[in-house]
Amino acid sequence: MEAFFWVVAIPATVSAVGVVMMRDTVYSALLLVVHLLAVAVLFVLLNAQLIAAVQVVVYAGAIMVLFLFVIMMLGLGRGEGVKEKLPLQRPVALLFGGAMAILLGVVMSQTTIQPVAGALTPGDVLAMGGNTQVVGRLLFSDYLLAFEVTSILLLVAIIGAVVLAKRRL
Amino acid sequence: MPEDYLPILIYFLIAVGFALAGIATSHLLSFLFVRRRAAKDKLIPYESGMLPQGPARRRFHVQFYLVAVLFILFDIEIVFLFPWAVVFRELQILGLIEMGLFILVLFLGLIYVWKKGALEWE
Amino acid sequence: MVPVANYLILSAVLFTIGVLGVLIRRNAIVIFMSIEIMLNAANLAFIALADAKGSLAGQVFVFFVLAVAAAEVAVGLAIIVAISRQQGTIDVDEINLLKW
Repeated sequence: MEAFFWVVAIPATVSAVGVVMMRDTVYSALLLVVHLLAVAVLFVLLNAQLIAAVQVVVYAGAIMVLFLFVIMMLGLGRGEGVKEKLPLQRPVALLFGGAMAILLGVVMSQTTIQPVAGALTPGDVLAMGGNTQVVGRLLFSDYLLAFEVTSILLLVAIIGAVVLAKRRL
Repeated sequence: MPEDYLPILIYFLIAVGFALAGIATSHLLSFLFVRRRAAKDKLIPYESGMLPQGPARRRFHVQFYLVAVLFILFDIEIVFLFPWAVVFRELQILGLIEMGLFILVLFLGLIYVWKKGALEWE
Repeated sequence: MVPVANYLILSAVLFTIGVLGVLIRRNAIVIFMSIEIMLNAANLAFIALADAKGSLAGQVFVFFVLAVAAAEVAVGLAIIVAISRQQGTIDVDEINLLKW
């Protein structure tokens, strides 16, 4: 398992770097698909099977298609100009980004994580019907309000997309 | 259990291997047997096939975009139906009301989209 | 077992890559993709902690994050398309609507 983590974590990191570095936006988008699939595999390793499936269906399937769509629609070669308007942007970004990485890394590695009261092992989850069932039970009981609010969020997004993208309302 | 996903891993490796083996074999065969001769027709994507019409990365019409966006938003609705479908017997009538409310709100969105004519082809 | 700290540090690294993408790149679409990487890094931390703490609430939260991300992408890309139509560019340094 230890080795498999690295087999997945390294491509996830490399493809994320590729998304940021690539000149061609289409390559960025395709590398983002690789990144999202690698993270989905990590979700499976962490016993989150439902989320992994949703990640593949929604992110790698639908959202990335939309990204490629927009890239194709706007045409290529309209990315960024050659000349840098803010000359110090890159070094300053690297400086502060590196500082943030160190800060996050130190905090993450120093924190000790205690299991909550009534912690579920993967075996317990399996005995309760499986990952999807347990997540479903939580989603439709404890987190019901958030679920219903999500529908309003999606309604707003539908209206927003129509208003912004439609030529004649 | 993550171990149960071994068949998917094997399937993935076979798929990648198949693609790579195909490319490698094609290169190997052309390296071994093809006599290289410069000709204009050799440079087109499908030799002896249909002539390509325009560049491969052509621009899409904006009309497609709206359909794709609406697909994603209703895709999310479907994703919420999966965990609901496996537990809705336990939730009993309350579960039906919960999901009914959720779908009703999104149905209002569908009516809006319909009324605005976003599903029509302009 | 892989220690949870590995996942958390990976999540921190991915988040930083996303931040650098937002800060360095000027193509609005690439900036948007970097934001997706950051959302994914946060999701990874949620799932790793849900596993370590033995509470599936973290997974439910990721569910909502995915829904929010989809809504964000739908509207955000529509805004990019609208800006591109109006301004003729998606370079964020060129887009300065407030300084007409």
